[in-house]
Amino acid sequence: METSLHACKTVTTKLIGLRKRTAFPHTLTDKATKPSFVDVHFVDFDGVRFHITSGDKKTLLRLSMSIRCWDELVAYGAEEILHREYGQYLSAAVEPQHNVTLDIDIDQLPPEGEEREALIKSISLLKRNVLAAPFEKAFKQQKELEAQGNGTGQLMAIHYRDEEAIYVIAAHDRVTVVFSTTFKEETDRIFGKVFLQEFVDARRLPTIQNAPQVLYSSRDPPLEIRDVPGLSRGEDVGYVTFGLPINFPRFLFPRHFNNPDVAESTISHIQLFRDYLHYHIKCSKAYMHSRMRHRVSEFQKVLNRAKTEVATTERRTISGRTLVTR
Amino acid sequence: MALLAPIICDNGTGYSKIGVFPTAIATRATASTTGRGGPPPPSKPGHLASKRGIEDLDFYIGDEALANSKTYGVHYPIRHGMIDNWDLMERYWEQCIFKYLRAEPEDHYFLLTEPPLNAPENRENTAEIFFESFNIKGLYIAVQAVLALAASWPSNKTQDRSLTGTVIDSGDGVTHVIPCADGYVIGSAIKHIPIAGRDISQFVLNLLRERGDTANIPPEDQLKVASRIKEDYSYVCQDIVREFRKYDANPQDNFQRFESVHTVTGRKYSVDVGYERFLAPEIFFNPEIYSSDFLTPLPEIVDGVIQASPIDVRRGLYKNIVLSGGSTMFDHFGQRLKRDLKNIVDQRITNSEVTSNSTIRSTGVDVNVISHKRQSPTSFPIVTQRQNMRKSDPAFVDDMRSSEVLLSVQLVEKFLCT
Repeated sequence: METSLHACKTVTTKLIGLRKRTAFPHTLTDKATKPSFVDVHFVDFDGVRFHITSGDKKTLLRLSMSIRCWDELVAYGAEEILHREYGQYLSAAVEPQHNVTLDIDIDQLPPEGEEREALIKSISLLKRNVLAAPFEKAFKQQKELEAQGNGTGQLMAIHYRDEEAIYVIAAHDRVTVVFSTTFKEETDRIFGKVFLQEFVDARRLPTIQNAPQVLYSSRDPPLEIRDVPGLSRGEDVGYVTFGLPINFPRFLFPRHFNNPDVAESTISHIQLFRDYLHYHIKCSKAYMHSRMRHRVSEFQKVLNRAKTEVATTERRTISGRTLVTR
Repeated sequence: MALLAPIICDNGTGYSKIGVFPTAIATRATASTTGRGGPPPPSKPGHLASKRGIEDLDFYIGDEALANSKTYGVHYPIRHGMIDNWDLMERYWEQCIFKYLRAEPEDHYFLLTEPPLNAPENRENTAEIFFESFNIKGLYIAVQAVLALAASWPSNKTQDRSLTGTVIDSGDGVTHVIPCADGYVIGSAIKHIPIAGRDISQFVLNLLRERGDTANIPPEDQLKVASRIKEDYSYVCQDIVREFRKYDANPQDNFQRFESVHTVTGRKYSVDVGYERFLAPEIFFNPEIYSSDFLTPLPEIVDGVIQASPIDVRRGLYKNIVLSGGSTMFDHFGQRLKRDLKNIVDQRITNSEVTSNSTIRSTGVDVNVISHKRQSPTSFPIVTQRQNMRKSDPAFVDDMRSSEVLLSVQLVEKFLCT
């Protein structure tokens, strides 16, 4: 089935399109070359909102972001990451209703070239960097635990959406990431289930044996987070009506984060997992729709062929006028 | 969680305008590609079971589609403002939302647009796709002409928020004259004119050819050069004869030179830009200089449209004529239209006074054309941005809808509250 192939591609962690943030660096590059006044709002996945304004001067650019799980992220060290990544650009005065504000003076930017490109790229990855905090922390913890040889790290929960959360747990031999997902629609739930099942199956393919292990279970949360309070289970009668939550852990082995580059890209990919899943559910539906449309037009052709020809004979009245049936 | 900004998606024949309310609007070509040179999936025989691979994910949209046209087949899902191919359109929206807007559709409300006289089936199909494929929160499908009227309010603080007026929407393919009363389109009175942007470019090209100036221009660039001349040099004159005299008396000041570089060889070439500067948009007012089958000038059409509308809204329609679309962006277009239309209306009034032996004395009709310059609401920064972009990015000239969409604030608010 189509979804299986979608899944195969997933496991090779090829995120089609989703990884690229196209519009945003564009704006920044444009602004850097010819400053002008701006006041632009835009969004990212999971209810993240951005606001770019030029300050009192044309050359000042202020980028603010609001993210739902900010407090949790701060607890997991988001601020250190922000300091590391943005340093001088980080503004002390955070814009109201936002969590992070960066002040960028275009006159002070590094000259055009690689350095500037790198900075613009890093600014455009603001959401990713903030959300990377718990993952980086877990990777660090894993290293410590590995030295000890046993034990598990702190369980970090990121409630990045209203009903959904990511749980990150470090152990001595791996980092476990659990996504809890809920589907609003019955159709989505089924598509999602097939899709997630394919993750398990796709791993049997010889080419992607090294992919991270994926397990999923509906209703019951996996062992790692079983004792987290407030987890919704299928038994909740109220819950079934809204859709069953599917929790599945995604194990990350040391191979995925010992090399810093691989670790970076692992974080980038895993953050987008939910969006990736939903994109593919939607794509599968669109594909189904196009098949349905195709089928309907085929059936219509058959029906049109089945029409009997109506014999048309001219009927006349006695005075010679033609009778017309309407 | 606070309500996330609604997403605005205006899909036109040539360009799509997508963005997040209220300010970020990006313009992209409405083009979609499918697999490597292959035909679109529906025309392919075979059944679901025989299908392998992820061809249905292997496509680009917008400018990327055009950039990849060498290896992928380019298709246009919208024809004449109406959605023509739903399969492609659904996938176009897929990437619009996920790749360009990076938004989870389940979290957002959407504002879409439709052309006037859109079939209810089309609207249903659109809503079906958005609700069933994308699980969106809510949807409002607005008529483009009504949004254009809302866009003509000088600012969002305007008290007089009238949705009565005549919209002249001239894009690349066709020109519509659409009367609206209180936000409702008077469908029976709508008129289409087969003269629009593409015809103006073609006319400029014809003029260049007649003069023999095209010899300098590489053949594949000719139409593009003509449309650049149209966009950057043309304006509407108030009197052709006087304009011709002015040019002949003082050619140095009026004739200009268009310079460009051959895209392949890098060789520079230049073309004289002469009478076509004012003759190009003149085909709206004197169509006989371009076409032999369509001969009614635009002001007459507008007058006819308003006369075909119910009598009690006619004054409102004359008072609020709104220009929309790239082909109405010529300088002084509004002035000329207003003057010609006023002449027609005044003539009719005088005639009726004469025939009634001056027993009937009617009050004059207020004719008012709102051109693009007067439509720049200071409260919407995107408008200034657009004007900045105008010269640097010719594609942007064809896009006037963005402002219409922006200004549908009230419509969005209204619909979110209900």
